[in-house]
Amino acid sequence: MMTTTLNELRTDALREIGNIGLGGAVTALSDLTGVLFTLEAPQVHQIDTRTLSELCWMAPESLVVGTVSRVNGDWPGEGAFLFPWDSACVLWQILVQMQPSGLDDLNELYQSVINEVSNIMLGNYLQAISQMTGFTMHMEPPAFAADMAMAVLGSILVEALYGQRELLAIETAFKTPEHEFKGYFLYLPETGNLEKLFGILGI
Amino acid sequence: MGRMEVKLAGMGEIVFAKGAGVLGCIGLGSCVGALLYDSRTQAAALAHVMLPDANEGDAFALPGKYATTALPALLRTLDTPPALAARLKAILIGGGELFQNRSQALRIGERNVETLQRLLRELRIEVVFEHILGSSGRSFEFDVATGLIRVRAVGGAPMEKDLSAALGILRRAA
Repeated sequence: MMTTTLNELRTDALREIGNIGLGGAVTALSDLTGVLFTLEAPQVHQIDTRTLSELCWMAPESLVVGTVSRVNGDWPGEGAFLFPWDSACVLWQILVQMQPSGLDDLNELYQSVINEVSNIMLGNYLQAISQMTGFTMHMEPPAFAADMAMAVLGSILVEALYGQRELLAIETAFKTPEHEFKGYFLYLPETGNLEKLFGILGI
Repeated sequence: MGRMEVKLAGMGEIVFAKGAGVLGCIGLGSCVGALLYDSRTQAAALAHVMLPDANEGDAFALPGKYATTALPALLRTLDTPPALAARLKAILIGGGELFQNRSQALRIGERNVETLQRLLRELRIEVVFEHILGSSGRSFEFDVATGLIRVRAVGGAPMEKDLSAALGILRRAA
């Protein structure tokens, strides 16, 4: 049984929060790169184990680069970014004018670029939400991985699931017309704290 | 392998094959594929284990989700009482830690592996093949008829091993 009732209004509210949050994050990415990024409409998934495997939007064994950051404070959870390898290469090319030849060449410089992009985007995401809700939130430095899409996503979801009765994912994709690029953002809130958010929003 | 369709265990799921068939998991990160094989019946059951043990009031408990519930469920699937479990053989794949220096160090992959190894020891089930821990994700396929296992990781050639002798599979005439 799901313990949080996600009616249409609440789902809409979470979607709108995702929109506002990631709007701020994508603006920050555009400022950083000088490239215009656009958002797809966020989706809210109430996840049970059966849908976990279906949440993988990429070919399950394709190479992705991802980060995950712990968020503490009034709306705790985990914020994660996933970039298909070719999209990560677009970011590297824009930001440091070079790209790794492959997984073996993925040194600390490349990792720190992705970590920094995640930091800036998640920071702006949280700031946008905090402006709307008055919540105080702070994030820990991101952890980095480059591996099979399904393995990276699975590791993120399983850890977010630990100690929780249910899992909620607010998912957004962002892209740019200028490059073959797609990025994915997931916020996995601790579901025990959702009522607090809904209370603030008066729903 | 390859021509035959692979029965894949999604997260928390259990799959089963007898006599013939290929079982596998795609993209194991901290999750562990735990497979038990019975040479008497030529049957195998595979669980895609996500977490070491259950938390209270779990909203969507699938039997294969936790190490502690997955092994009893595998025994039931293979129709083997715990007292006779020693005749089974085990294969463990996965339990990697893909994210280095994660702030919330739950070590889930490592704990999944430790818990499964401990429970298998208690059941006196021999682990005949492991491809575990480390920092990489894995996919694998196991051919129930031949005992051939194939493990894939990103950025490397797939590794293949014939486990027929270790599993007690009799060579059949071609």
